[in-house]
Amino acid sequence: MTSATLAPAVDTVADLTPAVDPVAVTATHLVRRYVPAQQVIHWIGVISFFMLLLTGVALLFPPLSFLAKGGTSGVVHRIGAVAFILLPALYMLRMPRKALELVRESFTYGREDWEWFKHMPGYIFGSTRNLPPQGRLNAGQKLHHAATFLMFNSVAISGLLMWFAKGQLGPDGLSAIVIVHDISMLGLSVMMIGHVYFTFLYGALSGMVTGKVSEEYARMEHRKWYESLQPETPGAAEKTEARSAE
Amino acid sequence: MATRYAFSIDLDRCIGCQACVVSCQAGNELADGEAYIHVGEQIRGKGSTLWGSFDHHRCFHCADAPCVAACPTGTLTKWNGLTVVDREKCSACGYCTDACPFKVPHIVDNHVSKCVACLDQVKEGQAPWCARTCPSQAIHFGDRETILAEAKAKVAALKARHPNAQVYGETQLGGLGLLMILLDAPEVYGLPVDPKAPAAMQVWQNVVQPASSGLSVLAAGVMGLMFVFARRQHGKERAEHERVAKEEVARKTAQPELKETQHD
Repeated sequence: MTSATLAPAVDTVADLTPAVDPVAVTATHLVRRYVPAQQVIHWIGVISFFMLLLTGVALLFPPLSFLAKGGTSGVVHRIGAVAFILLPALYMLRMPRKALELVRESFTYGREDWEWFKHMPGYIFGSTRNLPPQGRLNAGQKLHHAATFLMFNSVAISGLLMWFAKGQLGPDGLSAIVIVHDISMLGLSVMMIGHVYFTFLYGALSGMVTGKVSEEYARMEHRKWYESLQPETPGAAEKTEARSAE
Repeated sequence: MATRYAFSIDLDRCIGCQACVVSCQAGNELADGEAYIHVGEQIRGKGSTLWGSFDHHRCFHCADAPCVAACPTGTLTKWNGLTVVDREKCSACGYCTDACPFKVPHIVDNHVSKCVACLDQVKEGQAPWCARTCPSQAIHFGDRETILAEAKAKVAALKARHPNAQVYGETQLGGLGLLMILLDAPEVYGLPVDPKAPAAMQVWQNVVQPASSGLSVLAAGVMGLMFVFARRQHGKERAEHERVAKEEVARKTAQPELKETQHD
């Protein structure tokens, strides 16, 4: 799955088509990309993130401050916070190998990743043709995960301080902590917008709904990963699932 | 220019009777145990060196109020020199409890609890309950210029008995809206000599808050626009991808299917 040498940039569209059973190409075959537990954890993350974002924005954007009156939004914010903060622990307990791999992969960059970043502007505008073949995560996703990992920590730590050390922070402590909290959440929100953008641009939503993505998507965006899943004999779809879902 | 109101509390006249505390609670219909004013006492020395004074812990109505800067909902605002409270808007986030250099605001029953300057009374031309009730006339309320001049005159008269007597609050935090006539240095009363609103608080309210909401909305807008172009580009690529794939199929399989492919 990993090769030290950089694969030559794909010049023609024909190069994008790997040698694969021709029948499988025309029928929309699906490849399993996530196991159900990953999907559940992801959706807990989505729900808690938006609970936090909306109740948080009520304290940030004065015209929306009426949503915060009475303190109910504060309670919702804390319920969301508990779910959000426990997510990594849940992932770690349920799938320690996958969780560690995600962290390790997100902080490991090779030549192909730098090559990918060079063509990132094209990727943002919907073009995958100049991208070097990527593994399970493309370079952009790695960077996204790495930044999320860092900002998750800063938003969670500053939030916990505001929750449990309120009244003891003092004017300087409070202003430093709210600035960290707000900027972290700004970063996470902008990345969330980008995340949703790429999901819909490249039609990858099914990955988190059914756990499967189209072979076309896998081939165009994660060619190295896709090829590593190829069954030896045509029609062995079950085998593909079993291998990627382990 | 709008009126700038201020309180003054003369600790030389205060007899610690708690009448201001009680009238404040009654006049503002505070919940059991809730109080905007706390009257305590300071005692030092023994025998011939015995020294004592009452002290008042309550909102100082700072001109540059850090609680107002920190309040994200507009519950705390400035009105004619006073820091007023719109309890309806409060989300009980508690930022004010940390922002205040005097540790005055508290969260009680899911809302902020601090002196509201008896705004309804003041708007009707009356003095706040504490000033009206004080039996020893230690609490005054009125135009800040007048109140400050009176306080300074009182301090001048006190100097003979209390050499360290001073007016607290003339310049702190843009000038406090409650001037305290102290019998000794502020430290004796546990008051900060030069309380400061952290600069970061202003940065937060004036830069970070608007930038956060502005940039998120901008990012969503820009990405929404880009999506239209990017989706079109990706559609072209997908169509090409599919065409090539079909040609591959056609090449490898029988003639009849080739016809179908060409039909596309």
